[in-house]
Amino acid sequence: MRSLPSSYELVAPLSLERVLALMAEEPGVWTPVAGGTEVMVQFGAGRLAAQRLVSIRELRELRTIAERGDELHVGAGCTYTDLRRSSVIASEFPMLSTAAAWTGSIANQNRGTIGGNIVNASPAADSLPALLVYEAELILISTRGERRVPYLDFHTGYKQTLLRPDELIRAIVLPRRYSGYVSCSRKVGPRNAQAISKLCTAALARVSGSRIEEIRIAFGSMAPVPLRLHETERVLNGSEWSEYVLRLARQALRAEVSPIDDIRSTQEYRVAVAGNLLEEFLRSLFPKKENAVLERWNLLSAEDAAAEVLSCCGSHAWAKAVAAARPYKEEAALFAHASEVWHGLSADDWMEAFRSHPRIGERHAEKATTAASAAWSAGEQRDVQSAEGDVKRALAEGNRKYEERFGRIFIVCATGRQPTEILTILEQRLGNDDEAELKESAGEQEQILQLRLKKWLSQQEAI
Amino acid sequence: MAARMEIRFTVNGTERCVPAYPMARLLDVLRNELSLTGTKEGCGEGECGSCSVLVNGELVNSCLVPVLQVEGANVRTVEGLATEVLHPVQRAFLECGGAQCGICTPGMIVATVHLLQSKPKPSMDEIREGLNGNLCRCTGYTRIFEAVKSAADSMTPEELKALTTVTGKVR
Repeated sequence: MRSLPSSYELVAPLSLERVLALMAEEPGVWTPVAGGTEVMVQFGAGRLAAQRLVSIRELRELRTIAERGDELHVGAGCTYTDLRRSSVIASEFPMLSTAAAWTGSIANQNRGTIGGNIVNASPAADSLPALLVYEAELILISTRGERRVPYLDFHTGYKQTLLRPDELIRAIVLPRRYSGYVSCSRKVGPRNAQAISKLCTAALARVSGSRIEEIRIAFGSMAPVPLRLHETERVLNGSEWSEYVLRLARQALRAEVSPIDDIRSTQEYRVAVAGNLLEEFLRSLFPKKENAVLERWNLLSAEDAAAEVLSCCGSHAWAKAVAAARPYKEEAALFAHASEVWHGLSADDWMEAFRSHPRIGERHAEKATTAASAAWSAGEQRDVQSAEGDVKRALAEGNRKYEERFGRIFIVCATGRQPTEILTILEQRLGNDDEAELKESAGEQEQILQLRLKKWLSQQEAI
Repeated sequence: MAARMEIRFTVNGTERCVPAYPMARLLDVLRNELSLTGTKEGCGEGECGSCSVLVNGELVNSCLVPVLQVEGANVRTVEGLATEVLHPVQRAFLECGGAQCGICTPGMIVATVHLLQSKPKPSMDEIREGLNGNLCRCTGYTRIFEAVKSAADSMTPEELKALTTVTGKVR
């Protein structure tokens, strides 16, 4: 049931002084309305309790963004569009820019204001976690004068704030000292545009080497108010980064948040995702420099290292040479050296590697090397194994002809190739002379070993 | 109880003076007092964009604007786009099949005009963002986005310039 406009009073004084005078005369009677993106929704739904409203939309003094030395003063009447268009906000307070872009649609960003968002005090509001971690202050104004309060203290309970009935937020003050910080904000919602968040976060950190010098973390929708995670921060501040510290931080987060089940999400989901977002942020601060498998393998004995890498290519000479060139600083160096060694081997060594593969379409190699190699062969040849009987028979016949002609097994990189395609390649290669065919086989084996190296490095890292 | 007051604003280039309650929604004043029924009501809570109009060139949901807040402003509705011929954005929506049931169409077209004012050659991502507050339950959006692209590609520099000036007449 819609509200009747005749039941509501709306006035639009032309200056801030007159608005404040009106609010001082009858404290609590007049409700300020700026862009109307909250008040008018309540009005449209017949739920607007306030009956007397005062428009502050046209007050220019509430709509400025001013650089005042080491502070940025953002007028409370600035719209999300104003925030998005501000280059100083984009460069110095990027999480506020990002949150403004998340809020509602373009039309709502043209009307909704940052001050309105703060006063409305929704725990789900996207821009409020950013204000918490930037440690903003609010300038509150009334006919009695101005006072500055830390934004951290502003929300006192669900939809409860420090704002007195005759007060307005005049400006949001942002300290300009975050150039050495890394920041990250994330929103989790059912779609990208126009969605009220299931949860949202803003985090800011300064690190030095593997040490967290300072960190600030805030979440929306995780408590009755936009929440700074002071306890979690305490665990992390001054810590050396480790998996153990991460575990402690996730535990602290779980103890500190108190989300609810509601129409948008569940408590369980919110707690789990908040922990994941924290972990994601922390890991981004300390990117892994080295692949874990490579790191471990670099430290093995020469013999063990060669035995392990033999799964990627069945030539003992290759495995020994590749292992001998350790340590590899990065994966790319290993990949490059692996190919170089392969091409420098003798034909006999190549043959040994070829023999470690099962015939295409078969399961067992003539001279199997490792269990991992056999498992990988099965994976690489999966499509061939499940091919139609006709194709399989044709492959078997092709293999026989090939071995008769060249005296070794047919080598092809089967990954990503259809059985019929392999059959065509086999038939073509039967027309090669021996030398050209040996080179082509070696090229195929190089592709196989490169794929296997990548698989080896990624597979075990996940464990 | 509030009293009606005379609210003055410009609609599609013509100055109007409308008796209205200050909290009346701009949407209702346009439709009921000025008979500009091109602007549609969808959700009535600022989610769907059917009631999109331009106020001083800015895209807004007219269901969320109390009419007192447009006192002295320049309002442009979908009726203010076509002259003797269709507006190029309207033409593109027709040619690309960017409309089915039609309820979202005026809002889509107004949002497109707003987008092209600042981004005459929008990328697909910019189109998606520019229209992110306009919901369509029929088309699946693809043809709407194609219409926006086609409008942007086909508009002459004069037509693009005209986007920011009011050309239409209230019928």
